[in-house]
This record gives sequence, C-alpha cells and structure tokens, in this order.
Amino acid sequence: MGLLSIIRKIKRKEKEMRILMVGLDNSGKTTIVLKINGEDTSVISPTLGFNIKTMTYNKYTLNIWDVGGQRTIRSYWRNYFEQTDGLVWVVDSSDLRRLDDCKFELHNILKEERLSGASLLILANKQDIQGALSPDEMAKVLNLDAMDKTRHWKIMGCSAYTGDGLLEGFDWLVQDIASRIYVLD
Amino acid sequence: MEEEQEDLPNPNQASEKTLDAASRKHAAMLERLANRKQSLSSRKPSSDSNPDSFESTHSFLSRFSQSKLSIDSDLSRSKSKSDLDRVSISISDLEKLVAENSYFLPSYEVRTCLKTISDLKQTVENVTSEIVPKKKFGFKNKKASTGFVPEIEPEIQAFEQEKPSYPIRELPGFREKENEVLVKEFEGSEIGEFTISDLNFCEVRLKGCLRALFVHRLRNCKVYVGSVFGSVLIEEVEGCVFVLASHQIRIHHARESDFYLRARSRPIIEDCNGVRFAPYCLSYDGIERDLREANLEEETGNWANVDDFRWLRAVQSPNWSVLPENERVGGVTISNLDE
Repeated sequence: MGLLSIIRKIKRKEKEMRILMVGLDNSGKTTIVLKINGEDTSVISPTLGFNIKTMTYNKYTLNIWDVGGQRTIRSYWRNYFEQTDGLVWVVDSSDLRRLDDCKFELHNILKEERLSGASLLILANKQDIQGALSPDEMAKVLNLDAMDKTRHWKIMGCSAYTGDGLLEGFDWLVQDIASRIYVLD
Repeated sequence: MEEEQEDLPNPNQASEKTLDAASRKHAAMLERLANRKQSLSSRKPSSDSNPDSFESTHSFLSRFSQSKLSIDSDLSRSKSKSDLDRVSISISDLEKLVAENSYFLPSYEVRTCLKTISDLKQTVENVTSEIVPKKKFGFKNKKASTGFVPEIEPEIQAFEQEKPSYPIRELPGFREKENEVLVKEFEGSEIGEFTISDLNFCEVRLKGCLRALFVHRLRNCKVYVGSVFGSVLIEEVEGCVFVLASHQIRIHHARESDFYLRARSRPIIEDCNGVRFAPYCLSYDGIERDLREANLEEETGNWANVDDFRWLRAVQSPNWSVLPENERVGGVTISNLDE
C-alpha cells in the first residue's frame, strides 16, 4: 500500500477538507466565510491574523482558514500552505487600481509547491457594485489562461453582500476536491 | 547504615546518630543546590552575550547612537538615489531595532529614539527632493519598509510587460484637480463606488449614501463624506482632513492627517505616521436619513479603536494618536447650496 493510498484512506474516513482563503485586503474574504456560514456580516473588522471556521457542507467537513490580506501580513500566508486541499482567491472586482498588485500576489502564491495540488477557486467579488469587472474580464486581467495546465481552477462572479454566486463557487470547489482525494461513491 | 546497625543496642544514641546523619545529608543537599544555582547563574551571562538580546538600556542606547552616527555620515556623503536608498534601509533597520527592544526600554527612550528616526527620515526626504527634484509624492522608503523583496521570475516579468487587456473604464470619481471645491450628491441607491484621486488643495463634499469609496494620492485636501455602506480604502495621503462614516476603514501610507470617523468596525492603519483620530462631526440637511440607511446612526466609539498593522504589540503605536479635544474642529456643516 503506497503512502498516497494511506493518506486517501485517512482522509476518506474523516471526509475533511482544508480550504485556504487569501487575497488582497478589502476583497471580502471574512464576509464571504461568514455569509456562507449564515452569520451576521454587518460588523467585520479588517482581519488581524486569521479566522478558522469549521462547517459542514454537503457530507464534508470544511476547515476554512481565512487569512488577513493587509500587506504587512501577506508574508505570513506561507505558514498556512501545508495540506491545503482547496485555495480560494478573492478579488475585489471594483478595485481596478490594485489589479496589478492582485495579479502579482496571485501568481506569486501559485508558484508555491505546497499548493501545487490544490484546486483553485477565484471569486470575483463585489459584482453587485456598479462598474465591477465581470468574471470574464477578470480572467483576462489576471491572465488565468497562462496558469499551469495541470491546475484545476474556476473563476466565479459573486457578491458577499447579496450572497449571489457563493454557493455555486463552493459547490464546484468541494466537488473538485472530492473527485481528487475521495473515491467517488 | 553500618553505624546504625552497630549502635542499635542504645536507642537514644541511635536516634542522635540518625539525626546527625540527617542533618549532614541536609547540609550536603543545600551545598548541591547552591552549586547548582551558581553554575546556572554563571551560565546565564554567556547565553545573554548573544548580540541580539541585550536587555540593558545603556547598551541599547550606545548601539543606537552608533548606528545613528553612521547613518548621519552616510547621509552627508550621499550623492545619488541609490546612496539614499541604502541610507533608508539602514534607517528602517534602526527602526526595527527599536521595535525589537521596546519591550524593556523606558517609554521616554522609545519616544526619543522614534523621534530621532522620524527626523532622520525627514532629512532623507529633504535630501532626496534636492537630488531627485519634483516627484509628486514622497513615499520613498515604501520598498524598504515592506521588508520583503519579491523575486520575479522571467515568466512573471512577461506577465508584467503585457499591457492590461481589460477595458480601462472611467469609473465615477474626482481626479487630478487642484484648488477646487468638488461636490457630489448621491441620490437613490443605484450608486456604486466612487474614487477620489490625485487632488491637491481641494475640498471634496460627498453627500448621500454610497457603496464603496477609494481615495488615492491626496495632498492638503479636506474630504467630507456622508455615509459609506461598504468599505473605504485610503492610500497615500498627506496633510489632509477626512470626515467620514463607513462600515470598514483602511488607511495605508498616510502622513500628518486627521480623521474624524464613525465606523462599524475597527479602523486600521498600515505604514502611516502622524495620523490623528476623532469622532465624526459632519452635518447637512438629511444626514440622519443617510446614516440610518447605511446603518451608521449609532456612535460606536470605534474611531479610537485603531489597529496599526505596523505595530502589533500591546503598547500604544507611535504612528497614531487621539486628536486632542482642543485641536478638533467643532463640527462641519455643509449646506445645500454649495460654494
């Protein structure tokens, strides 16, 4: 029995997934996590450090790591890379000025070997704001087609404010992870 | 043991003997303890001699003044941009040194050292503006202060060189103005975001309720904002006054500016200095309705709960302060008929 199949077996028993949420500050990561968990989103301070949320989603247990995106603490993202099954990159689609910054940080994180096997969901957030870039435009700006061909990824427009698109995005992510690490049953 | 067996016939003597033995044992134990303690204390200084951890104010101060002297002399010899960049890096190293040791330094020393550092930075800036004339904004040590130099691989560079392929939209906003009063009233709820950028000596009045506000590169401006339902992002401002109410407020690279805020959550600052905070004080016809609409009618007191991402420790950050009451503007009223 190879190591990989042992790991698969352990994971299958627990049905657990580890999901890492990152992105620039002000993109709405914490709001998204609270929204899909059905919590109040009206008072959220910029994240100093990180939050962990454990929630049941379909028949899986998701451990969501929501890590602060302020520039000062971006260098700590690497501490959360280990054993990540799914990566959620959140973009503020209305913040056109910092898109280069966003693209740079995204491609930087995708070079990380420890994340090479993780499924990637890009949430183009704040679609409810007038003037926001559409998911297609965002995919062009972030140059997603230039990504490694082996990467499983999807871009999804959403609004953490109205909740639109969030479940659809997480459905894809969870299904994609499940098809990789669990034997389909 | 032998002794005790030998003396067994005489109980009295025996007990005396055991007592004696016990006290001898006790003395030996004390001696062992004393030795151990001594060896411990003699070991301690050697571990303390590690150059990075010296908990003595005196040795810290001498190290500080040495670094300052060398920076001063470097500065006086600086002729080019790269010289100055090097000086900036040593200044930020010095700043780091102060931060690392601030936990044991008396607060007076911390303040003096930080003052010295900010003076040094100012000098660097002055010299920079002499050497590299007229650049609109002077956040020179940005790179050094972020403390991490991203390594750019060739493929990424290829990304960077490509021109953005997305449509550059002109989003609503006030841009590139000087000496003007800029007024905008948001009617109804269909307004999204608003941007104010590259303004100099302007007064901006935004009435009504908006979703998101981006502020970028303002100098010597006054900005009055009704209510922001989402978040406000303020970057690179200097010598400005802001009066605004919002759910979330982030302030990056601001200097010498005052913020009169109402916020649902804790405002944060990053890479700022000389910023001061006070409670929201704007009024105009219908402001109560706008605040209520954005759920901001309540004074939360969060204007004073500022988190400094550059100062993650228990003592008060040197980068911001509460604006003393006698220096606050009494209240700002903007009327309907403007000018």
